[in-house]
Amino acid sequence: MTQTCFFNAHIIDPSQKLDGIGYVTVASGKISAIGTGTPPKTQMAEHGVDCKKSTLCPGLVDMRVQSADPGAEHLETLPTMLAAAAQGGITALACLPNTRPIMDEASAIDSLCMKASRIGGTRLYAYGAATSALKGDAMAEIGLMANAGAVGFTNGTSTVSDSLIMRRLLSYCSMLDKPVIQHCEDPALSKDGEMNEGETSTRLGLIGIPSESEVIIIDRDLHLVRRTAARYHVAHLSTRAGVDAVRQAKAEGLPVTADTAPPYFLLNEIAISTYDTAFKLSPPLRSEDDRQAVIEGLADGTIDAIASDHMPVDRDAKMQPFGPAQPGASGLDTLLALSLTLVHQGHLPMSRLIEALSLAPASILDLIGGTLSVDSPADFIIFRPESSWIIKGANFVSASRITPFESYPVQGIVDATYVGGNPIFQRH
Amino acid sequence: MTRTVSSDGAVPHIAGAVALSDRHLLGIEGMSPVEIRALIDRSLVFAENPHDGVSAALKGKTIINLFYENSTRTRVSFELAAKRLGGSVLNISVAGSSVKKGETLLDTATTLNAMRPDILVVRHNCAGAALLLSKHVDAAVINAGDGRHEHPTQALLDAVTIRRHKGRIEGLKIAICGDIANSRVARSNIHLLGTLGAEVRLVCPITLLPADIDHLGVEVVTDFEAGIKGCDIVMMLRLQTERMAGTETPSQREYFNLFGLDSAKLMRAAPNALVMHPGPMNRGVEIDSATADDVEKSLIRTQVEMGVAARMACLEAIATRAQ
Repeated sequence: MTQTCFFNAHIIDPSQKLDGIGYVTVASGKISAIGTGTPPKTQMAEHGVDCKKSTLCPGLVDMRVQSADPGAEHLETLPTMLAAAAQGGITALACLPNTRPIMDEASAIDSLCMKASRIGGTRLYAYGAATSALKGDAMAEIGLMANAGAVGFTNGTSTVSDSLIMRRLLSYCSMLDKPVIQHCEDPALSKDGEMNEGETSTRLGLIGIPSESEVIIIDRDLHLVRRTAARYHVAHLSTRAGVDAVRQAKAEGLPVTADTAPPYFLLNEIAISTYDTAFKLSPPLRSEDDRQAVIEGLADGTIDAIASDHMPVDRDAKMQPFGPAQPGASGLDTLLALSLTLVHQGHLPMSRLIEALSLAPASILDLIGGTLSVDSPADFIIFRPESSWIIKGANFVSASRITPFESYPVQGIVDATYVGGNPIFQRH
Repeated sequence: MTRTVSSDGAVPHIAGAVALSDRHLLGIEGMSPVEIRALIDRSLVFAENPHDGVSAALKGKTIINLFYENSTRTRVSFELAAKRLGGSVLNISVAGSSVKKGETLLDTATTLNAMRPDILVVRHNCAGAALLLSKHVDAAVINAGDGRHEHPTQALLDAVTIRRHKGRIEGLKIAICGDIANSRVARSNIHLLGTLGAEVRLVCPITLLPADIDHLGVEVVTDFEAGIKGCDIVMMLRLQTERMAGTETPSQREYFNLFGLDSAKLMRAAPNALVMHPGPMNRGVEIDSATADDVEKSLIRTQVEMGVAARMACLEAIATRAQ
């Protein structure tokens, strides 16, 4: 049996509370041994890779990615999306159902997953649409999609706003033991909204989206979760009130989880002051106080996971005045480096960050990955956390090159990404 | 070129065009009091000598008026101002243009830019549109109103009007009343009047008040009569029904009753209070006809007259800097 031993690595595996110099041995696509210190002689027999004290940890699991394929392949196809993920250290990702056709039936899920597996590389999973055609007025064929491999159900970029539909969804998904992922934004309160409501929106003359639009939906949903005991996940949490609501729900013992994305812990609404449409996101960039609350939520575990919120957007759709410009930005290329800022700035220990990027999302969606425990698939990355670079959209592997972090200095370079023991990316 | 800056109240002595620090005129926010006063002073010179050929700053220059929203007074005012300075003016209104064929704002702008105009005067329904254009064209850009953001030449002409009738701006009590949320005129005036030291009060229903507007250094009053009490200037704004979702106030009848200006309510203002309105007016909604047409109290027609003078000063300053 061929085996490869990665030694002299800084091993971080939150699932086993490992954090120190050590080794990982891979055989037949799985982790066959892991430990601190120098590996036993037998482990070194076949093939040894000196990691030179680079960090080795479980591969990133990105639980919020918009695939432009199928339906908008001119923006990005699966090969560039998966290549960007591989280079970004992402070994598994979950795609939103907002494609054309919409992922609201089993065959669509099947087709996307098949296409991705033919390409290989990063493992691709799909959410099913929570409601038919994402219209929000009737449940989609959730059971059939679950059988086809859907890992959770969501209306993607829109909110399930009808309380009765939401109640039924939560009940039905609890029966199937699948999570419901909600984009929390009250559609009436945020109607026509262009940015976060506050002094900046007033100065710029842009229509405000009050931060309450997030917590109103979370609060309503939490009442329904109490009744249904369904697994409920808040996507891209962005406000202090939202973080507080999730914290209380967790303290109460409700089966609630949450994620956020780098813009919400690194940027605030003031970035919009020059009407730069790269900063137009959904949910919108919030106040500085909200940003601080998101960091606090990540630090104390209220926010379980960090996702890229990757969203391919047509350049033409951004070359507009701020109001009509389309929200969204690219995220796969920058997820790890931007998230590492939290470590470099002292907000999170490295092990907690890795947990938020791998173990937590993998557990929420019951995916492969997130751990280096013996016998689990060898999905891991090797990276240098201190190496610095400057973000330039033009250099992205992803075909989607609009980023709110243009010219932003970051630290953290991925040198290799392995899925099932095979290298899907290696920096030369 | 020399620039004389008079303090408020002094008779202006202007030797020439105003020098601006920016190549474009996109908004009042961020302009220095020196620049604003100089533009007002120069406008007053033009106002005194509308036909005397004070300046031929636009001779040989082309000005394009690119209007994405309907407008009579602003467009005509810019056209007249440019012509009085010797410029050639082209008017492009969106109805009947390639925009109707789906051309984007930037494509239209770069097409026009290729024809080498010197100044683009732009009105657009989106906040930030003028700034966006200014980044993509060679011409100097003047913002003639962008969504709910700013309408700098309106604020300047309002200031010129006030200076002409009150002799100063500093220390005056000025009420800006009505649909603040949807008004670019309000925002530009808040910045301008505040910068020049007026005491600005916003008077409007709370549902037409944008978030945190008090951070801009204004007082907010939601009772109309209390709000205009003691004010030297009562500036009424048009209820922007085309920008309203329809849920801000219960009805126009109630609005006029609570927040409309009539002669009885005007008694609460200072004894020599003057009334302004940027137009077009909704008579019987925010202002009654008797007040609007009161030659003693209403400056509404003077505002239109000063509009040409203020735009002459702006165009001249922009053209002079672009040389």
